[in-house]
Amino acid sequence: MAQALWVGKTGLEAQQNRLSVISNNLANASTTGFKRDRILFEDLLYQNVKQAGGQTSQDTELPSGLSLGTGVQTVATQKLHQQGNVLQTQNPYDIAIQGFGFFQVMHPNGSISYSRNGEFQINGQGQIVTSSGYPVQPAITVPPNAMSVSIGKDGTVSITLPGQPELNQIGQIQLATFQNPSGLTPVGENLFLESAASGAPQIGVPGTNGLGTLHQGSLEGSNVNVVEELVSMIETQRAYEMNSKAIATMDQMLQYLNNNT
Amino acid sequence: MDRMLYIAMNGAKQNMLAQTANTNNLANVSTTGFRADFAGFRSMPVFGLGHPTRAYAMAERPGIDLNPGGLNTTGNPLDIAVDGDGYIAVQAKDGSEAFTRAGNLRLTSTGLLINASGVPVMGDAGPISLPPANAVEIAKDGTVSIIPQGQPATDIQVVGRIKLVNPPASEIYKGNDGLLRLKSGEIPVANANVNLVSGALEMSNVNIAEALVNMINSAREFELHVKLMKTADEHAEREMQFVRLG
Repeated sequence: MAQALWVGKTGLEAQQNRLSVISNNLANASTTGFKRDRILFEDLLYQNVKQAGGQTSQDTELPSGLSLGTGVQTVATQKLHQQGNVLQTQNPYDIAIQGFGFFQVMHPNGSISYSRNGEFQINGQGQIVTSSGYPVQPAITVPPNAMSVSIGKDGTVSITLPGQPELNQIGQIQLATFQNPSGLTPVGENLFLESAASGAPQIGVPGTNGLGTLHQGSLEGSNVNVVEELVSMIETQRAYEMNSKAIATMDQMLQYLNNNT
Repeated sequence: MDRMLYIAMNGAKQNMLAQTANTNNLANVSTTGFRADFAGFRSMPVFGLGHPTRAYAMAERPGIDLNPGGLNTTGNPLDIAVDGDGYIAVQAKDGSEAFTRAGNLRLTSTGLLINASGVPVMGDAGPISLPPANAVEIAKDGTVSIIPQGQPATDIQVVGRIKLVNPPASEIYKGNDGLLRLKSGEIPVANANVNLVSGALEMSNVNIAEALVNMINSAREFELHVKLMKTADEHAEREMQFVRLG
């Protein structure tokens, strides 16, 4: 009945979506390798009642038209891939990436998924796997009698066997970069899948061609800025209140019209 | 009597029916797997001698909102939610097969898996029936595996697969028992591409902001119709004043 009601409704929905994104960020403030989301809004289409530049008489035209907006819509949630803080854990299978690149992990649906989460463990067969049990690609198997494992800055995984002082190299962890890392599809479990928007993965040795270096014994924390999220939450709540005030005002205007004419 | 009164009355009455549909949506804002109803109005012009200048309104439910609701992770192994498109096939109380998104399952004493509405989940051949078990686990593709009672924890048996379907959205309607069916009446076939999430429930997809604004809108429209009825009454009174003798 009144356009202002529906425009206000789109504002309420947009702020609700924004709060969902903020609370997801806050819930994952301690998740290793988590990249925070940012919500993006855009205005909906305008109804052109009078076209700007239309002729008002033979020689004059309208300097500005009459365009009524119809509200706001949520257009995207963009993942921001800034580096999170690096924490020291001294655990031999914890790896942090300093710089660009993703670990490659074999997803159970058969495709390669990508992750920044370097909390790896050894499974019953000696393979290096993530905490959900998905093996790292290229697959690296540690023999059961290995005494210590060291992972170099370029990803080479070497072990020492009992009785031999030299290191034996058993494999190399390679990193993948993308043209547009924000275009990767997040699928949960700290994993991303390649999509048409991210571009094809460029696989390489860590430390070469602009790829980041690996640091054994450290983990990359979440890149959520808790203070920024709390301030955004205040802004979201006030914007929500303002939108509902606009709806209440329109409601009162209609009530006045119905009762006083 | 001016016929404007009947049109206004009809408007007010259909408006109240639309309000009922809207309030039903609001009442079900926390119901697992609930799909919101759309209330639509249709114009019904009256054809007679001359032009059809009178048009009545009719409220109807043209369809349901099939957008997914929010996902609530409960951690309960028997709670399942469909990941993306798709529905869980269930056997309705009248024996026919229907489908739904509500996956808050529990085991009965006879071994049937029923959801909160009390309808059993369909397997490949009829409702799934489980032998007595210590633990039940439901996999992503709907496979139900159990650790039978009295067996060690390493003995996991597969006992069936939940039927998951994914018919086209244009063919779906909501029956009177709240379960979804196909308009043509046929039973949808099992679809292997539907994935489940175990330990999560899908909440209602009612858009609260829209429902409240609809409520405000309908309330003001109702006031408008009542005002029209009052105006018709005043017209009639003026007419009577003209023809009153003395």
